[in-house]
Amino acid sequence: MAYERPSRPSSAPPRRRFGRRKICRYCADKSQKINYKDVNNLKYYLSERGKIVPRRISGTCAAHQRQIAEAIKNARQIALMPYTASHSL
Amino acid sequence: MRNYESLYIIHPDVVGDELTAMVEKFQKVLTDQAAEIHKLDNWGVRKLAYPIQKVERGCYVQTLFCAEPEVIAEFERRLRLDEKILRFLTVRFKEEFPAVVEAEAVEEVETVEDVAETATAENSDSEDTAPTTEEK
Repeated sequence: MAYERPSRPSSAPPRRRFGRRKICRYCADKSQKINYKDVNNLKYYLSERGKIVPRRISGTCAAHQRQIAEAIKNARQIALMPYTASHSL
Repeated sequence: MRNYESLYIIHPDVVGDELTAMVEKFQKVLTDQAAEIHKLDNWGVRKLAYPIQKVERGCYVQTLFCAEPEVIAEFERRLRLDEKILRFLTVRFKEEFPAVVEAEAVEEVETVEDVAETATAENSDSEDTAPTTEEK
């Protein structure tokens, strides 16, 4: 061991919890349904590289995040949404 | 009897009579097994999000139907056998089938046009006509 770990107090160093508390879009507006064919709404939950955005970034609640992920995976399977950003290789 | 939704992609080179014949064939596969078809929607040729079998476009066909669970296996088997079908996806439809709404779309377009006309009337210098149009 080149160095010794300094003894820390039990609380972690000060860190912001999350930037701001976002509201789950589907909890706020109950009439909106998550559908795998609804590409226009689902594309906001894909990152630039085509990955599904984590819940702490998009601010959705847990139940809706699971539904969104399932819908995106269905849409990917039927070629309505891409798997990655660059498919032509 | 459960509600299902099936979406399948047909090769884009299949057009016209051949396309309708193919769609009819798969509808017949369903009706032969006592499925009630609620809706058949041909989205037409669309660009795919990624190339499938080297093609960039495909004809999407959506069908909503009500059937026993055993029907799905046979339906998908037939879809898999056909070489012109690129992909298919059958999903259980949890909610009730939506009613066919076509007349409502026409009414919505008319109300939007009325609002646009009142907005332009307000911008002009006609003060007397503006409140009367707002009362509509």
